[in-house]
Order: sequence, then C-alpha cells, then structure tokens
Amino acid sequence: MKRIKKTWPFHVMLLPALICLFLFSYLPMGGIIMAFQDYKPWEGVGGSAWVGLDNFRYLFERQDSMQVIWNTLVIAVMKIVFNLLIPFVFAILLNEIRKTALQRSIQTMVYLPHFLSWVILGGILIEMLAVDGFVNRILAAVGLDPVFFLGDNNWFRFTVIVSDVWKEFGYNTIVFLAALAGVSPTLYEAAEMDGANRLKQTLHITIPSMIPITIVVGTLALGNILNAGFDQIFNLYNPLVYEKGDIIDTFVYRTAILNGEMGFGTAIGLFKSVISMALILVSYRLAYKWAGYRIF
Amino acid sequence: MSDRRKNWLLPTLAASILLAGTLAGCSGGGSEPKSEAAQPAEPKTENVYKDKYDPEVTITTVWGVDPTLQFKNGETIENNVATKWAKEKFGINIKSLWSITDTNGAFATKLRLAMSSGQEMPDIVTLGTENQQLAQDLIDSGMFAEVGTWFDQYASDNWKSAMSLDSNVWNQYSRDGKRMGIPVLDFAYNHDYVLWIRQDWLDKLGMGAPKTMDELEKVMDAFKNQNPSGLAPDKVTPLSIGFKTSMNTWMGDPSWIFGAYGTLPQQWNVAEDGSLEYGSVNASMKQGLSKLNEWMNKGYIPKEAALWDENKTAEPAVAGTAGIIPGPYWMSGWPLLDTVKNAPEAVWKPVQIPTGPDGTAMRHGTQYTNGVTLIHKDMEHPEAFFTYQNYLFDNFAVSKEGGEFANGLFEGYDFELDANGEMVPNDEIQGGYVNVVRYLLVRDGARIPDEQMKALLKLAKGGKPESRLEKDVAVNYGKDTPAAAEVLLSQEEISKKDMFTGPVTATMKSKWDYLTKIENQTLNEIIYGKQPVESFDQFVETWKAGGGEQITKEVNDWYQSVK
Repeated sequence: MKRIKKTWPFHVMLLPALICLFLFSYLPMGGIIMAFQDYKPWEGVGGSAWVGLDNFRYLFERQDSMQVIWNTLVIAVMKIVFNLLIPFVFAILLNEIRKTALQRSIQTMVYLPHFLSWVILGGILIEMLAVDGFVNRILAAVGLDPVFFLGDNNWFRFTVIVSDVWKEFGYNTIVFLAALAGVSPTLYEAAEMDGANRLKQTLHITIPSMIPITIVVGTLALGNILNAGFDQIFNLYNPLVYEKGDIIDTFVYRTAILNGEMGFGTAIGLFKSVISMALILVSYRLAYKWAGYRIF
Repeated sequence: MSDRRKNWLLPTLAASILLAGTLAGCSGGGSEPKSEAAQPAEPKTENVYKDKYDPEVTITTVWGVDPTLQFKNGETIENNVATKWAKEKFGINIKSLWSITDTNGAFATKLRLAMSSGQEMPDIVTLGTENQQLAQDLIDSGMFAEVGTWFDQYASDNWKSAMSLDSNVWNQYSRDGKRMGIPVLDFAYNHDYVLWIRQDWLDKLGMGAPKTMDELEKVMDAFKNQNPSGLAPDKVTPLSIGFKTSMNTWMGDPSWIFGAYGTLPQQWNVAEDGSLEYGSVNASMKQGLSKLNEWMNKGYIPKEAALWDENKTAEPAVAGTAGIIPGPYWMSGWPLLDTVKNAPEAVWKPVQIPTGPDGTAMRHGTQYTNGVTLIHKDMEHPEAFFTYQNYLFDNFAVSKEGGEFANGLFEGYDFELDANGEMVPNDEIQGGYVNVVRYLLVRDGARIPDEQMKALLKLAKGGKPESRLEKDVAVNYGKDTPAAAEVLLSQEEISKKDMFTGPVTATMKSKWDYLTKIENQTLNEIIYGKQPVESFDQFVETWKAGGGEQITKEVNDWYQSVK
C-alpha cells in the first residue's frame, strides 16, 4: 500500500499507453469473428451470415496454398538471417575504421536506401535488372549470359532477398554499432597487454560482446517469420514468378482487397498469426535453452 | 498541502496530454448521420427538377485523381473551373468528401475501406470498368438507390436516345429488373485496336502491309534483321506487346494473335452452340501460344513482355525502335506523336488486323459503357444530378454551332482561340492544356457512343470540321486518326465484345483468383518456353475441375436470363 502511494504517478503516466494498446491492438481483435462469416461491410459484424470454417476450407482447397505458405517462409527466413548476418559483419568492419569522419559518412550512405519506398525502388530495379539493363550489361562485359532476374523462377527469390538486404542492412547496422560502442575499452587494453592482435581481439572480445544483442534482435525479428514484405513483392512480381514469388500477403491482397472477400482475407490473416505465434514460441524456447537468454 | 497538490497535478496533466495527442488521429472519421429534419416534406405535385437551384443544393462526391491530370491557376479537384461553373450555372454546390491520387487502384481501396468502416458515403460516385467488382458490391450494399425511374423521369431526350443505342448497357447494373446504376457511356470502338506499323520501314524494304500472319512474320523478320533505320537486330522490337496486366487489353495487346486462330483469351465469347465459353480455355489457344513462343525465341516480341504494362509497350514505339504496335485508332495523337522527336524519319500508319490460316481475324470489342454512376439513396436532390448531366448531353456531347461548348469545355483549359477565332493546338495553350473534362462529376463528361466515329468518317471523306467534336478530333487527335477509323470500321465484324457483363457469380468469388492465377502462369510460361505447349491441355483440365466448369454454368445461367 505504501509502495503504491509512492509510485502511483508512474502508473497514471503508463495509462495512455495502456489505453492505446487496448484501443489499437486488443479491440480490433474482435474483427477475428469475420473469419467465420461471409462478411459484408454494409451488414456489419452483427449482421453477416455465419459460415463456420468455410473460409479456412477455401484456403486449403486451393492447390497453391501450401506453395504460397512455403514461398513466404523461405523468403522471410532468408531475409531474417541475412539481415542479421550482413549488418553484424559490416558493423565489425566499420568499427575498425579509425577515421571518424569516414566511418560516419559510410554509415550514412548505407543507411539512406532504408528511406526509399518500394514503389520507387521497384521501378528503379525493374529498369536496372532488365535484360538489356545496367546489371546485365555488366554481366555481358565479363562474358556472362544475361539473366532475367525478375522473370525467372530460379532468380526471383535471390533478387528479392539481395535487394531487401541491400536496402535494410545500413539501418540494421546501427543497432550493432551501438552495442560495439558499449564494449568497455579496458578489455581491449588488457588484451593488448597480453599480446593479442586485432584478429584475436575481434574473435575473443568484440564478437562475444555482440552475442546478446544479436539474440535480442533475432528474437524480435522472428515476429516477421511470415511477413515476406508485401510492398516489395507486390512491386516486383509477375505471372512468370508466381511459383516462387507469390506470398501470403499478395494472395490476401488479391482476394480480400481486390475482390472484397473480407472474411476470407481475415481467415488467412488469423491463420498466419497462429502459425507465427507457434514459431515464435518455439524459437524463443530454443533461444532460452541454448543461449540462456530471454527478453520477456 | 500545496506541495501534494502539485504532485498530483503534474503526472495527470502529462498523462492526459499524451492521451489526447495519441487519440487526436482518431477523431473525425465517424459517420455523421444526415440530418433528416432538414428535409422538408416537399409537395409531390411540384416539379422538383429545375434548371437552376435557388437556394443552392449540394452534391457530395469522392474523387480518384488520375496521376497525369494537371491543374493550373492554383486549382484543385475540390475547387476548380468546373465546380465554379456548376455553382454559377445550376446553383449546384459540388462538395468533395475526399480525393486521392489513383495509382495502383488506390481509389477503389480507399472507397472500399470507407464503406467497411462506415464513413459517410458520397451522393454521387462514378466507377470505371476497372472497378467493376467494387461497383457490384456497392450496388449490393443497398446504400445506393434504384435509378431507372429517375432516369426515365428526369433524363433529357438526347441522353435517353444515346442510352438506347445498345439496350445491353443496363444489364450489368440491374438487379431483378431494377436498374441500380446509370451506365457511363463511352465512344464505340474506343479501345478496339488496329495495328500501327512503321510505313517508312515498309517502304524502304519495298514491302506491303501484312495481311496474314505469314506475311506479318516476314515483315517482322525484315524489321529485325535488315532494319531500314540501321538498328542492330537486338535493338529492334518488331512487335511491341506486353501482358503484365492482361492478355486482353487496349494498347500493346496480344489477343488478336489468338484471334487469328479462332478465340480471344480472358473474355467470354459466344461458342458455336450459342452458349458462352471462356476464351482462355478454348483449344485453339494452343496455336496462338506456340506462335508467341516462336516469336519470343526469334526476338520478334519483347523479352520482358511479361513485365510490361500498356504504357511500357509504347516506350520502344516512341523511341523509334519498334516496328509494330497494336493500339486504338487514336494513337497517332498520343503517344505516337512523340516518335518524331526520337526518330525524325518515322511514319506510323494504321493497318488491318492480319488474318490466320483460314482467313479468321478477331479482336476484342469495346462496350458502349466504361463504368457506372451510382446515386446514394439518401441523396436529397437526385434531380440536381440530372440537371447537370442533361445540360452536358444537350450542349457538350452534341455541340451546337455558337453554343456554350462550341469549341470545348472551358476556354484556357482544354481549348484556346487565337486572334482570328481559330482553335490553337493543345500544346500551344497558355499555361498548358488541361484535360478539364476530368473535373466533371462523371468521367469524360458526356459521350454519345456513335458520335466520334461519325465525326471521324466525315473528316476521312474530306468533310470540314464544324461541331466541337469534329474540331476536337481534327486539331488534337493526330492527323492519321480519321484514316485509322476507316481501317477500324473496314473490319467492323471482327470486334468481339466480352459477353459476360453480369455481377460476379457465387463460385467466382471463391475460385476466380486461383483460376486467373494458374491461367496467367500457364500462358506466360508456355510463351516463355518454360512449359511445352502440351501442358495447355493439363491446364484446361485443372481449370475446369478447379471451379471453371461450375463458373461457366453460372455465367450461362446469367446469359440466358438477359438474352
């Protein structure tokens, strides 16, 4: 009781955040009902007809649903892995640059693409990756055959993942650079005294001190395990690469938004959330078991 | 005591400010019920239709703004020369609830979300054929009124006679015999295409216009391998087509290639037994597909055709590197007019669609309607909308000599007269040409389907331009347009319209996206040689079993009901 008397101002200040959380994250969950209805916006959640699990049945009756889910998983997992790995290495390399001005300007330069929208970048990529475009001319100059990056099932995922990593790695590097700044200089001094060279210092001091933050970032990124990036895929895909490129979100867009099948769209969304939740829980347990680290 | 009060005040204040800030974004979205008390019970005997309203009446609407639409004099879609005109001329206040730049279907998405979240819906909304599904949903929502009675009661004779040119225009917007939306009329043949060909290349090669597919292949081969402008073979696009959006579209369209062998893909055609069949599953597709595959391998068509939309197919044509592009009769005005900037020697000429081995040729035909106007059932003065449209049909669609719109809509926007009272070309208008008909409540203002062709044929026969439409096509449509219209009409019988214009059927709702997906995938992969042509048969089986058979039945049920 006495504690509450002392701490209540903090609780009051927490209140807005809680109300917002409730309004924007919990209240809309009521819409899940739509997944079990033939939802018509003008009839509302109360008036639409109940259809049981029909919407889910449609999802599994479609011959391509497993393919779409698999595409989503592959693209999303590859993005998560490379968006951890590349910034991790890049941050270490960048940290080794002694001239602060140079370090800062490189950091800013690689950070900039993050602010470009995929609508713009999509247009640029389509031009650059064209069969007679910039990239293919370089390939031709070194004697390689032109590659149909956006129209070839063997290349589409690669193109999507590389372009996403290129766009985002600068942004993700920042977190790692912050972690590096927090490593105590005394550790390096002591190591130098013991005669460790820079490679040894990196291996035994820098990398171990970055492991915790890597696990935090990685676990948080797991929430995106079924988000393969709608705006990117939507701007780049075409019928030739449906086989490897059609993902859950583009599929929901076509059915729920373009065709107005809100109930079906919600059902897929709910399905996606359940799968994500399961995957997150498993990975979280694994992270705790093997790395002994937990964030919540 | 006072200390304690301060302690209490500060956190609460901070919290409430935070909360107010975060919630500010939510206000204003709710639907405001229209005040019903403000609607006086009008005596039914008095004619509510007026030429001018005093006091003013308000029509609410929403806008999807074409990204290429221009504005001048600091105007916006909400407030411009057309809204001022409506206010002064008719006492009609056009109030915009919202507007959005319409890229990637943003307008339809926003309107759909507005409907789902219960926001105020507009009195008048016009939807193009690209938003057909949304239009059907809005009609089914019950928020929009039965308009047939109003149309019979208020529409002018000109409008009615234009509407009666094709009795089918109401079909797709009717429910149980009730007409729920007013079809937006468009010019007939507007998107039926001809082939545009580089006549200067043909002349230098000493070749004639290709009449059959075989001749066409010879021409494409010559364009590519003995290019008259001296372009290297891999720089030439002999035939510029694209199928990113569809195999059945308006510019850079490939559907006539299938047409030469007896079917049109991605639309419903009348089969031999009189029923409707979906063109993409007709067995004669295979010949068209193997032709396209062959052309792809020979480099006659763009390597990235699968990634090209309509506007992209115009790029090589305008750059002077393409030899042939299928497109509407008006293309010599836009975009082909710009070709001379890149290739001064270029001469584009319209030619007929070539025929297949047995003399067949087909192209898709344009419906007389390109959208629908819906009227909200709570609209207080629906007659005001008719006042507005009637005036446009009586004075703009058919312009009288010396009438208000004798030269165009608004001077200084879509036309300008020089000192002698002659029309100046669009690109010489002070401050730039503005396609001001797009500011009107209904897209393209008012069009009578057969007027444009009448005007063009008159010009083609050497007639002098007199009416607004005749002057407009004479000045602005490119010099080859009348000739192209003649070419087009010389093959009038090969235009086949999509015969299914009804609402989406029950099975379409759950299956159509998947069927379209495998259809696009199969057609594209066969053209690209990733699957053999034989896999088409497999696709047809899958298509039929996956719901296509059922959909065909439902479509035919609808067809029987309106036939």
